[in-house]
Amino acid sequence: MTRVESQLAARPAKVQPRKRHRRARLDTPLGRVALQVGSIALLLGVWEAAARFGWISAFLFGSPAGIYESARRSLLDGSLLVDVWTTSFEALLGFVIGTAAGSLAGLALWYSRFVARVVEPLIVAFNSVPKIAFAPVIILWFGTGLLAKVALAVSLTSIVALIAAYQAAKDADPDLQRLALALGATKSQVFRKIIVPASLPAIVACFRINLGFGLVGAVVGEFISSQRGLGHLVFTASSLYDISTVWVGLFVLMAIGFALYFVIDRIERALLPWKLDRGGHDLNV
Amino acid sequence: MTKLSVRDVRKSFTGKSGRTDVLGGLTFDIRDGDFVSIIGPSGCGKSTVFNIIAGLLEPDSGSLVYEGALVEGLRGRVGYMMQKDLLLPWRTVLDNVVLGLELRGVPRKIAVEEAREHLSTYGLAGFEDSYPQALSGGMRQRVALIRTLIVNPDLLLLDEPFSALDYQTRLYLEGVLMEAVENFRKTVVLVTHDIDEAVALSKRVIVLSGRPAGVKAIYDIELAERTPIGARSDPRFAGYFHALCGELDIQTKRGEAA
Repeated sequence: MTRVESQLAARPAKVQPRKRHRRARLDTPLGRVALQVGSIALLLGVWEAAARFGWISAFLFGSPAGIYESARRSLLDGSLLVDVWTTSFEALLGFVIGTAAGSLAGLALWYSRFVARVVEPLIVAFNSVPKIAFAPVIILWFGTGLLAKVALAVSLTSIVALIAAYQAAKDADPDLQRLALALGATKSQVFRKIIVPASLPAIVACFRINLGFGLVGAVVGEFISSQRGLGHLVFTASSLYDISTVWVGLFVLMAIGFALYFVIDRIERALLPWKLDRGGHDLNV
Repeated sequence: MTKLSVRDVRKSFTGKSGRTDVLGGLTFDIRDGDFVSIIGPSGCGKSTVFNIIAGLLEPDSGSLVYEGALVEGLRGRVGYMMQKDLLLPWRTVLDNVVLGLELRGVPRKIAVEEAREHLSTYGLAGFEDSYPQALSGGMRQRVALIRTLIVNPDLLLLDEPFSALDYQTRLYLEGVLMEAVENFRKTVVLVTHDIDEAVALSKRVIVLSGRPAGVKAIYDIELAERTPIGARSDPRFAGYFHALCGELDIQTKRGEAA
């Protein structure tokens, strides 16, 4: 072996294990949480310091201490919980109704290619309108209460679910359908035993997107007209330049979305047990 | 006795590049208990024949006569296997095996009992609750074979079922198939591009011509043993192999038919 070759051979053996080792020490559940908590704490610390020392305007940007104070106040007088409940309920109801109706309609379109072809451009047209633009009309129709927020959330979520479900049904492996047909399946059996389960992963993936849209519908509805809810909280607080309260609303919205995301995760595990272990985590890409 | 007659079947497809005549008047018979392989140059429409027999495609003209009666296709009466195992990824091995029985409305309890029996016969006991993706290619194709056999079809339609497997697994599964075919006295139509496999397994080999496909030649294969290894060891095997290569105009290095 020449000198160059022996150096080349020796180098990876020396460098790589050490690099991997350092990562391995931090890449544990505890290590990851420590990193996440640490970086958030650092961010809050810098923010607080910046506000105290006047590097940024506490009036415009708020400060962690102010946010904490405002959160404590609204928690103690019970108003925050009412807002959380209101917005979560609107968002969830809109999410469930819109996603269920949209998914079912999308799957049903598989049944008739004729109907699907007629409806497709209409769906595309409806989808290309920013649904938020409907908000004023929806409030005119459904009033300023729960119904209007749910309707707005439904208008957002149903179209997303419909397109996802229809596309997934269309993409279902034709060979699997051929197999079922050769075995004597009827159209309705092909639908129930091939199309629906084959589309389920895409439909569940759409749950995650629609969760966000459910919240968007609820919050935007509250922005426009409402007496309670987190959207109402954020909107009124910002018009009073009460930035701390705005931040409270935003953080709580984030927490709701975060919590619901884990609920969806659970649902996904229950609905798609076969998707759980796909392997590939050991790929060192 | 003739099980299935394919009579002057024609089929063409119209695509962007115009009309393509795929089958140009195809006629052949399949006898009861026959094992027929259909080979032909690639793209000659082997799979189209297969789909017409299975009742998944309608021929433009021509007819199918099954056990003396004119039929549209054999939907629900055939076992169907392709190169892809076509296992439903969302179903466990057991639930995949019972699919055909389920579609026929067999009560779940009876179907499951039968499936468990078959699975243990073919060495898959203990994998009932696994999902297909956890299985090797050979095991998956074995599950697909069980799913095909369990519905007790009159006719097995096999479209290159083993061509994606490594050679050893393929020999093994060919053996499993032959045993099952003997035991249950099945009639088999095997579509393949693999001349070697066609000779080793078949009683007869039908050679199709290029597009539009017609029957170019039919060979009766007479070997002492019809097991994957036994057949390939027969001195007459090479003769059939060469003759069929010649029919397909496979060129050797020197530019002459093999």
